[in-house]
Amino acid sequence: MSAFEIRPVEAAKPICVDETKCLRCGQCVEACAIDVLVQEAGSVPFAAYADECWYCGCCVMECPNGAISLHHPLMNQPRFVEKKRLTEE
Amino acid sequence: MRWPYENKTDEVIHHRSSVLILGGGIAGCMAAIGASIEGDDVLLVDKGCVRYSGAGGSGCDHWESAATNPCSTVSPEELTKAMLDDNDGYNNAISHYIECVEGWDRLQDIEKMGGKIRDTEDEFVGAAFRDEKTKLLFAYDYKARTTLRIWGTTFKPAMAKELKRLGVKICERIMVTGLLTEDGCIGGRCVGAVGFDVRTGAFHVFQCKTAVMCMSRPARVWIFSAAYPGLCEFRPTNCIGDGHAMGWRAGAEFTLMERSVKGEFSAAGRSYPPYMAGNNHNTWYATDLIDAKGRAIPYADRDGNILTDVSQRFYPAKDQPFFLKGGAIDEPLFDIAGPETLPYEQLHEKGYQLPFYADLSELPQEERKVIWGMMVGQEGKTQVPVYRYLIEQGFDPEKHVLQCYGTGWKSAEFLPKERQLFGIPGGFMHDWDLQTNLPGLYCAGDVLFSSDCYGHAAATGHYAGRHAAHAAKNLDYKALTKSQVDEEHRRIYAPLQDQDGIRWKELNEAIAKTMQNYCGEVKCDGLLKTGLEELEKYEQNVLPHLYAANPHELMRLIEVEDVLTVAQLIIHSSLNRRRDCKQAHFYRSDGEAGPSEPFIVVRKTQDGVKARQVSLDFAGDLRTNYALHSLKGGNDSERV
Repeated sequence: MSAFEIRPVEAAKPICVDETKCLRCGQCVEACAIDVLVQEAGSVPFAAYADECWYCGCCVMECPNGAISLHHPLMNQPRFVEKKRLTEE
Repeated sequence: MRWPYENKTDEVIHHRSSVLILGGGIAGCMAAIGASIEGDDVLLVDKGCVRYSGAGGSGCDHWESAATNPCSTVSPEELTKAMLDDNDGYNNAISHYIECVEGWDRLQDIEKMGGKIRDTEDEFVGAAFRDEKTKLLFAYDYKARTTLRIWGTTFKPAMAKELKRLGVKICERIMVTGLLTEDGCIGGRCVGAVGFDVRTGAFHVFQCKTAVMCMSRPARVWIFSAAYPGLCEFRPTNCIGDGHAMGWRAGAEFTLMERSVKGEFSAAGRSYPPYMAGNNHNTWYATDLIDAKGRAIPYADRDGNILTDVSQRFYPAKDQPFFLKGGAIDEPLFDIAGPETLPYEQLHEKGYQLPFYADLSELPQEERKVIWGMMVGQEGKTQVPVYRYLIEQGFDPEKHVLQCYGTGWKSAEFLPKERQLFGIPGGFMHDWDLQTNLPGLYCAGDVLFSSDCYGHAAATGHYAGRHAAHAAKNLDYKALTKSQVDEEHRRIYAPLQDQDGIRWKELNEAIAKTMQNYCGEVKCDGLLKTGLEELEKYEQNVLPHLYAANPHELMRLIEVEDVLTVAQLIIHSSLNRRRDCKQAHFYRSDGEAGPSEPFIVVRKTQDGVKARQVSLDFAGDLRTNYALHSLKGGNDSERV
């Protein structure tokens, strides 16, 4: 049986980088005005300070290969419904 | 985990430029551009990256109050007067007049830089909000045509490119922490600034002849979330009021810092991300709203007449010259009140049921298209977080309706003691050159008192920049005072030492709670003075025992030290306003009787805080003073 780990419990995970699409160009790191992303030489950037993310999406806009995606925490995902459902009931 | 950047905390880098621009958001970039036109060398320093930094970095959908655009039917004088009247004079006549006169000029500049300001792709031909000749699009009041719809996601990248083209020296990822003054004296001429690299920790010293302060407005003074600090406030995490703090420490004058409002927005637990939940505010004006049974919620004009057609939502009422909507317009007075959905209390009585929804499906096609895909998409923080996100979730504006939370666009409720600097709060006091009381220090954008929004930041930025450059021509460099530089160096780097020290979040939370307890909705001297004592205790006992593990965390920590300074400034301002002032949302339980005092201007001196009163109409006649001070010539001479 493999050993357990102690890991920090994040309140949200805004930034997700798809390693298969990431070109390691670092443009997302340079696009972040809050500087939440870091990149060790040649590797995939990650959000070292994800809690400081203000969810602007500039990193996503800047990525040349669609490797990075922005995720809202569950509490910030608004609800929408088909309009006809409201009048059907 | 190792910090991936090299440790350069023992390096000192010196810079020298005629004009120093402090902050690279909209105001800062336009200040650098305005200053460059005068020909002097200009250096711009920004905590982040110029391409996307600032409150407008990720976009903007509306450019307000451009009264001189070719389609406007309202003069800058009328528009500025309306803004002043809406606040009984407690507003910034100078900065808003500049906004109204020069906003259109700046928009044209941005177009030349590569920003998109008109419907060049002809997506909205025939729409009531489009002018066929100029292809400009308008928002809110289609008769006034003073607020334009813009493709703001294109603006910041265009400005960043323009700065390079003009040869502006750009220093990014550097947090400026303090102003340098002549002989190191409080209240002295501004001669430079210091800061540090937020990745390597290198120390930077800037010497200049004049400087322009463009660091936006304070935040996280009353509201904080340790789990989601980036979502606490409306503006970016690092727009935190550093400029206010360093200005206060240097002896700059401030006014209306006692003005705050009950919290309006925080997606760190209560509100949803801006414009992501159902609403009919700004970006989403004037979508249909429906109730839980699909019943359409009526819009009414300011006279209470129920509107029967969507098109009526975009025109003023009978006998009304124009109406205003936008960022700084919260509860407009009758004169400028535009159409709105009926208030919740009335809807409840009439049997409308929660939840409500924003419904785009039955709008005329061009109104739906301009909201969904243009306004939602170009507004800051909407292209990726709202537009693309909701589409990925399957949202179709012709089939789906988006739920509203609570009863308004804020999508949440706050306690009166949970306050924010929303709307048109306080800031730097200044003159018609946008110069502060510190000679050589100019200011622009949201640092100005009673200021707001994108077009305002751009217009005042350019204005302040060209004034700073013009003044620099007749100035020499002044020597920097070693002891002032050394003290700031000591202050910045101290928190890197004590690994058992207190981290920035714990301090921010404590400041916020203190301000809620002692500087809440209703003020009184007893509470304010106790609050000040508590904050001073943090200054004496906590600041020497802070810890930051690396330059990034140091940035967050020094920002919180600035929040502490701003909290003190707010309490001093509150102590010096002795009577209630409705327009400042300022109430006392121990207030003196009598009419509200005008502007109360405060500053820090060697001998403590000093206050003076300034008349609400200190700006004087707008046209005359603008003509005297604007430094414009050439094609604007017919205006003056």
